Amino acid sequence: MNNSHTTTAPQFAVVGHPNKGKSSIVATLSQNDAIAIALEPGTTRAGQAYPLSVDGKTLYTLVDTPGFQRPRRVLEWLEAHSVSASDHSETLRAFVVQHKGDGRFTDECELLQPLLDGAGIIYVVDGSVPYNAEHEAEMTILRWSGRPSLALINTIGTEDYSDTWQDALKQFFQVVRKFDAVRAPFEQHLSLLRAFGQLEPSWEKALDEATHFLSQQRIQRRQQAASIIAKALRDIMLYQESRTLTELQAANIDDKRLADDLRESWYKRQRQREQDLRLDIEHLYQHQRIRRQEAQLQWHSHYDLFSEDSRENWAVSKRYLATAGFGAGAVGGAGLDALTLGTSLGTGALVGGLLGAAGSYFYGDKLVLPALNIGMLGNGMKKATFGPVQDSQFAYVVLGRAVDHWWHISNRNHAGRELLDLAPSDNHWLDGLDKTSRLVIQKCLDRCRKQKTIDAELHQKLCGALLQCMSVFDDWRLNRHY
Amino acid sequence: MTNRSLSLLLEFDSRAKRDEGQSPVFLHRRDRKFALTCEKQNIKPTPQRWIAHMNQLSGEGADTESSSKTLRFWSRINRGFATFGAVFGILTMIGLLFYDGGQRINITVIIAFVAFQLLLALFTTVQSLLGWQPWKALLQRFQKNMQQSVFSKLQPLLMAKAAHIGGLCFALSGLATLLVMVVLQDLAFGWSTTLNTSANSYYTLVSVLATPWSWAGAAPDFALVEATRFFRAGETQATINPNVWGQWWPFVAMFWLTYALVPRAILYVLTRFLLHRKANALLNQHASMHALLYRMETPSLDTGNESNDAKDLPNTNTALSVEALPNANIVLYWAGATSIDSLETSTETSPFVAKIGGRMSLAQDQTTLNELTQRLSQEKNAFVIIVTRSWEPPTGELEDFITKAEQQWPSKSRIFLVPVATDPKTAPNNQLIQQWLRFANRCSASFVSVSLLQNNKNDDDTSQDSTI
Repeated sequence: MNNSHTTTAPQFAVVGHPNKGKSSIVATLSQNDAIAIALEPGTTRAGQAYPLSVDGKTLYTLVDTPGFQRPRRVLEWLEAHSVSASDHSETLRAFVVQHKGDGRFTDECELLQPLLDGAGIIYVVDGSVPYNAEHEAEMTILRWSGRPSLALINTIGTEDYSDTWQDALKQFFQVVRKFDAVRAPFEQHLSLLRAFGQLEPSWEKALDEATHFLSQQRIQRRQQAASIIAKALRDIMLYQESRTLTELQAANIDDKRLADDLRESWYKRQRQREQDLRLDIEHLYQHQRIRRQEAQLQWHSHYDLFSEDSRENWAVSKRYLATAGFGAGAVGGAGLDALTLGTSLGTGALVGGLLGAAGSYFYGDKLVLPALNIGMLGNGMKKATFGPVQDSQFAYVVLGRAVDHWWHISNRNHAGRELLDLAPSDNHWLDGLDKTSRLVIQKCLDRCRKQKTIDAELHQKLCGALLQCMSVFDDWRLNRHY
Repeated sequence: MTNRSLSLLLEFDSRAKRDEGQSPVFLHRRDRKFALTCEKQNIKPTPQRWIAHMNQLSGEGADTESSSKTLRFWSRINRGFATFGAVFGILTMIGLLFYDGGQRINITVIIAFVAFQLLLALFTTVQSLLGWQPWKALLQRFQKNMQQSVFSKLQPLLMAKAAHIGGLCFALSGLATLLVMVVLQDLAFGWSTTLNTSANSYYTLVSVLATPWSWAGAAPDFALVEATRFFRAGETQATINPNVWGQWWPFVAMFWLTYALVPRAILYVLTRFLLHRKANALLNQHASMHALLYRMETPSLDTGNESNDAKDLPNTNTALSVEALPNANIVLYWAGATSIDSLETSTETSPFVAKIGGRMSLAQDQTTLNELTQRLSQEKNAFVIIVTRSWEPPTGELEDFITKAEQQWPSKSRIFLVPVATDPKTAPNNQLIQQWLRFANRCSASFVSVSLLQNNKNDDDTSQDSTI
């Protein structure tokens, strides 16, 4: 028996009174937002296993269970059939064997079975409601199983009674932890899993391994998110809407209408690309069913990509643009110095820098959308194009919104079911970004504006710069605005 | 070898583009599984094996069309150059060896022509190394629908390769034509120049040029050089044995072979090598290759998110609504619910008050049930209030109690569940009331109702004022 426990992966049965957030805990720890969660007793009707596996090897399994329905009756049965403490576990097994298929005890059998199979106990209570001694029957039953146990104080509501819960739970459980399934940051997930591992020495290694892999996955996801954002940024900044018109078509449509048509198509496609980016980021973090506030909003809304609010909230300051413009111009000017073998004594860099700064300062003042361009083709046909966008501010709007969305998603627990509200913020978070990253971003944007490709090396650099952006945004959100 | 590298690069690029639409989790799982399978078989998970594996899984007709199309396109270009080179080589050599019986075939012209060929070959290689594409515009017209991105970086070398193939075929067919002409005609070679050059200097020049094949005895001797100088304006040197004019042909053949054919062959091989190296470098530097290697090396983590029961939610609809709180002589407190004084003092006679559920034993609950059976049969209005904690969901134990009560108590009896908030002065949250309404509905709507304390009524939108 002991042997089998040491060789198989540890299991943890998440048990408790109905509606105390058991499924929320499991959803967050298993990063599964497809677990049914509702403020309704009996949402979980059967035990469900959620194994965490690495390369197909299970490191641990969480088992979500229904809540206790008739603990007093179970305890009465157990006490009636037990002679001494030594037979508690055996009596519990006998209860499950005897009542399998009995409709009254379906939930109890479901939740006790994993314990009989060797699972550790994760007992969940709601710390936002007052302590209730009536739960003691449940706790006593769990103690009868003799399994290692940990109590989790989850917080569903706004009030906090966790201290009284903590004192009471200590009487029954080896470890008592507070854990807010909806709001706990990722580090707390890992810390909780490590605590699971400390319930029994043979579980420690598996849980340490699991937390190591989860940390690695988190880092990897961040890098992947940077790459996904870089790709979207490039696509959006390079996009050009074009239309070829025959002589007849060109005669029947005036330039203004053509411009409006093209602009609308261009906007539509850019919005769609942004939505695709959002889905990619959400899927990367295993969020499959997020409802977003902005999805239904239209052109003049606060959340629209092209709205004035977006520009005001996410565009960078003139000073930022001038600095980045100076850097980008100086790089070009330095090239001139190199060609003259330094005989220009760095004047190239200085002049280039000043030109870049001036251009960015004046040009970046407004969110200038791309102008319409109508050209004649050789055979009497007309070609009209719209884009790519010439204003770097637009890229910073896209970048700001993308990083903000990423931040919300990466910090969102899978137990969260509330609407994701991407309300714009009111500060220029990019002010904290280092100069090298600013230059890389500006260089990429300049290349896009000129419809030049971004090669693999520059893409890597852009990803690095975006990772920096993410860190800056993280600090800005956590330290000042969250 | 080169074609294999090119094909690998193209197939990889094409597959990487298709993978762009896949979820990172899926890609990681797929590629890590491949790496682990290779590890089990003790083989290295190379890109070649990976592509072969992917193609094998995709089955017959795996999508390698775009890569083979590109390769076929370049193969056609190469064949075109080869054909053109071969035809042009024959014509050129016929032109060079044109002999109408009057003038000699000028060795100086042949030397200059071969030098020009050599220069062209070197130029082709240098331009490919510099990345210059002389016929890029022409290529773009024919290559509109083909994959461009990664392959465009190989185009300078591919163009150089095609040019070298053309040059090689040119040199080969030229040499063959020379040999055929030597057999079929009596060619009369001589040397001529406007410059004031002595036979001695010319002999030195041809000796130096012939150094590479001096061992073969095909270098002209001084006597031949001295004897075969001619001037177009001069008279024919009838004193020379006509056989002497033809003795230059071994030199011409070896000169062509050494300075036209061999350099082309060497540069062709070099270009192939560079192409192979570049294709390998592009493959190794491919952004998707880094990602693939990372996916193959990093363990794939599955956090247990495959199970999906999001739609399997309980029915939260109920037809019941909150009823007015009646005047009742019996008040029961379920599972530690707080005592409510107003309930106990609202009646004229002393009410029956008891605690049930929670820490009370089942036997004590049964005793209460029994006592109430007797009392209710004597009561005029057999209403029983059960006060509950609104936040604690109704469980099976309460359901058991109610079921027993319904069986045991007189038929006129009715239970009123009164869920109370943590602060009894405030109304419970509507969502919590709803769960009690649904519970009452599940038990028996005619026997169980839900009411709120009098002071809680006003802020609940589900309450329905009715008098019982």
